[in-house]
Amino acid sequence: MGMEVTSKQFTSAAEALVAEVSESFGDAVRAEVRQHTGGRRKNAYVFMDIDAEVWNRLAKHLKKVHEVDHCSMITGIHWPEHADMTWQVIAHLMRTGVKNPENHEGVAQIHDVDAGTLRGEDIPLEFEITMALGDTRTPSVPSVAKVWKGADWNEKETWDLVGIDFDGHERMRRVLLPHDSPTGYHPLQKQHKLRYHDFNEMYDDPQGFGRKPDDIGKVK
Amino acid sequence: MAEMWISMGPQHPMTHGLWTLKVKVDGETVVDTEPDLGYIHRGVEKICEARDFTQAIPYCDRLCYASAMTWAHSYIYAAEDLLEVEVPERAEYIRLVAVELQRIASHLMWLGAYCPDIGSLTGMVWCLREREMMMDLMQELGGSRMHYNFPRIGGVKRDLPIGFATRARAKLKLFLDRIQEYEAILDESTIFLVRTQGVGYAKAEEMIDWGVTGPNVRAAGHNYDVRWAHPYSVYDELDWTPSIERPSIKGSDCYDRYRVRVEEMRQSALMILEALDKMPGGADTHYASGDAMILGKAPTRAAEGQTGFHHFEDSRGESMFYIAGGGEERGKNPYRISIRSPMFITIPYAAKCMIGYKVADIPAIMGSFDPCIGETDR
Repeated sequence: MGMEVTSKQFTSAAEALVAEVSESFGDAVRAEVRQHTGGRRKNAYVFMDIDAEVWNRLAKHLKKVHEVDHCSMITGIHWPEHADMTWQVIAHLMRTGVKNPENHEGVAQIHDVDAGTLRGEDIPLEFEITMALGDTRTPSVPSVAKVWKGADWNEKETWDLVGIDFDGHERMRRVLLPHDSPTGYHPLQKQHKLRYHDFNEMYDDPQGFGRKPDDIGKVK
Repeated sequence: MAEMWISMGPQHPMTHGLWTLKVKVDGETVVDTEPDLGYIHRGVEKICEARDFTQAIPYCDRLCYASAMTWAHSYIYAAEDLLEVEVPERAEYIRLVAVELQRIASHLMWLGAYCPDIGSLTGMVWCLREREMMMDLMQELGGSRMHYNFPRIGGVKRDLPIGFATRARAKLKLFLDRIQEYEAILDESTIFLVRTQGVGYAKAEEMIDWGVTGPNVRAAGHNYDVRWAHPYSVYDELDWTPSIERPSIKGSDCYDRYRVRVEEMRQSALMILEALDKMPGGADTHYASGDAMILGKAPTRAAEGQTGFHHFEDSRGESMFYIAGGGEERGKNPYRISIRSPMFITIPYAAKCMIGYKVADIPAIMGSFDPCIGETDR
């Protein structure tokens, strides 16, 4: 008890951060403090709607100035019906404050943090950062894999499943789908229906023997 | 000596599931590694787009075969953030009991799988014996043995059965005694110590940069835990301290990661005992299903533009769901569900950790990070 970070701490940290980021980035980053809407505690978190071009610069800024040390998730959504936001990339970051134990005469000193005493940049914080891309066949946003190493596999997954490329990401490859999946096949795009054969086809050919894959002859 | 690539997996005792670890070796020394995942990718995220918010719960149960309860709750908290649901306090207590029981069962499964990895078969049999007690308790809650489908948006499916609290207290007290038996056979076993100590050093800051969280970070000397850093449920009403282990100055080794999980099981058991005592309405009362004490009101549709996310302390680290509303059937289905799996991020790091050690150390290092391929591949 008394161990947990309080709502007040979240709100003060989020407000200070939003003010600083809005000042540094101007119109390119539309930052605001939002409240979680479910559960018992409506904790504050930082929400940012940004232009994709500043993503890399913002990531470096957050890491360097605000000690945002943990890239939790990067994911994408395909909205085929929206012309101004056909592709959306969402990044969830966290400030954890995890530090290596200090070396005191050859003995590591553990960080047994008491949440009630945390102030300023030490308060843990959640971030939701979203960026929209227009109607394009080659969606791409800057990669942040060099800022947080944890972003590397998240970006691979987003490209693999949603088809959004990350500019500057080295060794982009399939991680969840087979390596010999056809080029341009990204199953979370909305043109791929979950029930892809209609009912007639199901009854005519329940085992699916009559179906021919597009990449016949190309796959081992 | 010439370097060469060898494949460990997809069928290998080290993998704890289906995946391949490609290892480049120079003699007996590991010089490079590359994990290859996706062997059991089931497309849960896509499947959930054609299910409504309640129908998605069993799929999230099946994300991890060792820790179903925590994954279902991880989804539920995100869905409640999306649908703006208030949860009764008693339901939160019941959920906490369920999740911590699952955490113990999951850590026991881990220890049970890790012991034979490094040559202690007795450890496996003992751990599975105690896991059975936890499985019995969770079976009373959910009705089935592994995949419980227990939480609901706004609360839980059923109240605690009559007599559950008495049985849970007896079993947990027995379990707290038996933890000392594991410590006795493992901490005093020379084979266990030789194979885990000084192997697989990992540093806290490096891990958080790579996205590794949970017990693995706490083993490296920092008590970061989502349960206090971003509190949810009723963890703020209980008296508990996150487990933490003092590593060496080179970082945490496999032995630290074992110690921190044993400590975490103890903390979870104490937490459940406390929650049973503090539960509003009393742990021995049984409310009917759907009663306002255990199930709050929840809308079934989410409009486009509504989003929800929740960071959750899973048994293996920080799991997270991001849900965008406004899917098929006028918002009855989610438009997109995105899952952060802690092990998907941890496996590349664990593979990197092995570089410089011997081939014989690979099972000890990989196992100490607690891989679960069900959630990794989704």
